[in-house]
Amino acid sequence: MTDLAERRDAETAVYQPAEDSGLLAEAALERAAGRTLEVGTGSGWVAERVDTETDCEVVASDLNPHACREARDRGLSVVRADLLSPFADDSFETVLFNPPYLPTDPDNEWSDWMEAALSGGETGRELIEPFLADVGRVLQPGGRVLLLVSSLTGYEEVLALAEAAGFDHEKAVEESFPFETLTVLELTRE
Amino acid sequence: MKESLLDIVCCPLDKEDLELDATEREDGEVIAGTLTCTECGEVYPIEDGIPNLLPPDMREEEEAAA
Repeated sequence: MTDLAERRDAETAVYQPAEDSGLLAEAALERAAGRTLEVGTGSGWVAERVDTETDCEVVASDLNPHACREARDRGLSVVRADLLSPFADDSFETVLFNPPYLPTDPDNEWSDWMEAALSGGETGRELIEPFLADVGRVLQPGGRVLLLVSSLTGYEEVLALAEAAGFDHEKAVEESFPFETLTVLELTRE
Repeated sequence: MKESLLDIVCCPLDKEDLELDATEREDGEVIAGTLTCTECGEVYPIEDGIPNLLPPDMREEEEAAA
């Protein structure tokens, strides 16, 4: 395969930075500390900003092999992973996640990597649920999660899931757009 | 991957430690090799500096689709 073909492949297969990425980066630059994991890093743009603009030691992960390569090309430490499954207990002071969150008709799902980057299943919360159920395990005591939530995903429903997992929450940043409101939640627990 | 990554990764199946076998290194990083679970023996590949720590069923699904 030529370089050009490879590049074109990556552009259609990897989610590129958008408004949601910008908002997560803004929250992370302000609040991330210590060893930081970005789950579902995509192009690696958010993780790279945190890596270069803070003292945090950054690890980026994604399910998508094209995303993993793109993130590694930015000089990041990358692990190909299904959510948090291969990360050890008490490993991170900060975990960042801009999940695939769009509610999607099941008949149209998972046909390619871009779909996987966007779709949160029928509810939009299909990946947020297992993420919230497991993230406390990998967090160090006193650590925090910065989670991007769209109004399309159901803000109150995500708060309920966070509470069920034992987290306190506050809004780190929020911005409204014509079709959705995006919020980055900071989740902490005693 | 840097060898220090071993402190924070584990087997996705049983969360046990992984043992590194590096076959290619460059600038202090492991470019190729394997990570093997010290408990269940599952082997995870490292290719182009990226450890593939997907659980085996997800990895096989993909190989079957390819």
